[in-house]
Amino acid sequence: MTLREPTGEGSNDDAPVRMYHVSKSYSAGTFALHDVSLELKRGEFVFLTGSSGAGKTTLLKHLFAAERPSEGQILVLGRNISRLEGAAIPFLRRRIGVVFQDFKLLQNRTLEENVGMSLDVLGTPRRETRNRTFQVLKQVGLHHRRFHHPLSLSGGEQQRVAIARALVNQPEILLADEPTGNLDPDLTLEIMDLIVDSATRGTTVIVATHDMPLVERYGKRVVRLEGGRVVEDAPASGRAA
Amino acid sequence: MNRVGTVIYLLIRTAFRGMRSSGVTSLAAVATIAVTLVLVGAFALLVGNMSGMLERIGQDLQVTAYLEPDLRMEEARLIAARLATVEGVHRVSLVSPEEAMLRFRETAGAAAMLEGLDSNPLPTSIEISLLAEHRTEMGVSVVKQALEGLPGIAEIAQGQEWIGGYTRAAALVRFIAVGLGAVLAISALMIVANTIRLALYSRSDELEILSLVGASRTFVRVPFLLEGTLQGMAGGLLAVLLLYIAFELFAPQIQFGLSFFLGSAKPRFFELSELISLVLGGAILGAIGSAAALLGWRGNSG
Repeated sequence: MTLREPTGEGSNDDAPVRMYHVSKSYSAGTFALHDVSLELKRGEFVFLTGSSGAGKTTLLKHLFAAERPSEGQILVLGRNISRLEGAAIPFLRRRIGVVFQDFKLLQNRTLEENVGMSLDVLGTPRRETRNRTFQVLKQVGLHHRRFHHPLSLSGGEQQRVAIARALVNQPEILLADEPTGNLDPDLTLEIMDLIVDSATRGTTVIVATHDMPLVERYGKRVVRLEGGRVVEDAPASGRAA
Repeated sequence: MNRVGTVIYLLIRTAFRGMRSSGVTSLAAVATIAVTLVLVGAFALLVGNMSGMLERIGQDLQVTAYLEPDLRMEEARLIAARLATVEGVHRVSLVSPEEAMLRFRETAGAAAMLEGLDSNPLPTSIEISLLAEHRTEMGVSVVKQALEGLPGIAEIAQGQEWIGGYTRAAALVRFIAVGLGAVLAISALMIVANTIRLALYSRSDELEILSLVGASRTFVRVPFLLEGTLQGMAGGLLAVLLLYIAFELFAPQIQFGLSFFLGSAKPRFFELSELISLVLGGAILGAIGSAAALLGWRGNSG
C-alpha cells in the first residue's frame, strides 16, 4: 500500500484516518503496535481482526487519542494525534463515536440521559437533546424505553443504547471494540447491522473483533494484526450474507 | 435556554446529583465545616465581646491622685496644671474635699457611714482622664510615672487595675482563636479534599464516559468544585444556626456572670455582614478543598 507522508494538520480530505509507520512501545524492545500504516476513506467499513493481544484495542485507543504513538504519525480528521494538546482532545472526540464490549453505560441514569451525555457536553439545548435522543433511540428500537435504566435491559439492548450514544452526535468516525463480544449470535447480527448501517450514511467505521465468521459474513475490508503488526489488509469482497 | 445557560444548568445539576450519590461523605464534609466554623465563630464572638467591653471600660478609665492633707489649694492647682501637659492626658479635674464629700453622700449607704463624723476626712484629689488612644496599661503607667515625680502626692489610684490582665486575656483568646481556627480550617480542608477525592473515585465510570464523549476538563471538573463550594456553604449556614441557638441559650447566663463588668450592656451576636462572611468562609473552605483534590487528580483525558 502506498501512503503519502503527512503534510500537516487541518487537511481532512477523503481519508479521515491515516496512520504512517506507527509503533507503540510500553517497555524497551516490546511493541504493542509495530510499524502500522493504514488509510481509511470516508464512509469505509473496516474489520480489525487478530487474536487477543494482537494490538486491536491499542490501535483504536490511538485513534481517539487515549494513547499516543511512540513512533510514526497518526492523522485523525486532519488532526495529528502526536501533537494534539490535551485541551484539544475533547474537540476531536466529539467527532468520534466509540462503542465498547462492556457497553459503558451508567446504571443510575435513564437511557435518555445515557444517550444525551454526548449532546450535554456540547451544551445542546435540552429540547434539542430530547428530540435527537428520541430519534436515535427510535433508530435502535428502544425509544419506548427511554425512561428505563440500563439494568432493566438485556445485553443486546444495552449495546444498542451504547451505539445510540455513539451515533447521536452524528460522528464522522465510529470505533467499536468487540461490540458483540458479550452477545449471543442473534443479537450479534442485530448489533452489527446497526453499525454497518451507519457506514452507509458516510461514517467511517472500524470494528475490532476476533469473530471470524462474523467478518466473513459481511465481506468488508479486513485488516489483520498479529503481534502489533499488520499482517493482512484484504479489500472488501462486496459479498455480504 | 442558550448553550451557556444549558451548560450552567447541567453543571449545577451534576453537582447536586453528585452530592446525592455520595450522601454520607457529603454530610461528613458539611458537618466538619460546620464544627470548624462554630468554633471559630464562638471565639470570634468572645473576642468581639471582650474588645467591646474593653472599649466601654476605656471610656471611664481615669487615674486619681490623692494629695497630701496639708497641701494648699494653690499648690494643688499648680500640680493639676503640670499634669495637664503630660502626654496622653485628656482632661484634669481638681476635686476639693467638699465636692468629694458631696459625691460620697450621693452613693448608697453613705449617710450611715458618715454619722458621727465631726470633720471631712476626704482629701483633695486630681482626676486625670486619658485620650482615647492612651486608654491602655501603657498610657496609665506614663501618667503614674509623671505623678510619682511630683511633690504633694499622697496616693495614686488607677481604679481598674484588672484592665491589664483583662487586655492580656483578650489578646490570648484572640491568639487561641486564630491558631485554633487555622488548625481547624486545615483539617476541614483536608476532609473536604478527601470527600471530593472519594467522589472522583466512586464516579470514575461516569468521568471516563464523559471523557470519551468529548467533555472538556472544565465540564468534568466544575461540578466537583461546585460540590465542595455548596458543601462549604451548607456547613456555614449550619454553623450560623448552631451559633445563634447557642447564643440565645447562653447569652442570659453570660450577661448575668459579667454584669459587674458590663453593667447594662448586653453581649452582642454577629451582624448580618459578619454572618454572610461566615457562610462565605465556609464556601471558600469547600472550594479550596475541592480544588486541592482536583489538583492531584489527573483524570483520564488521554
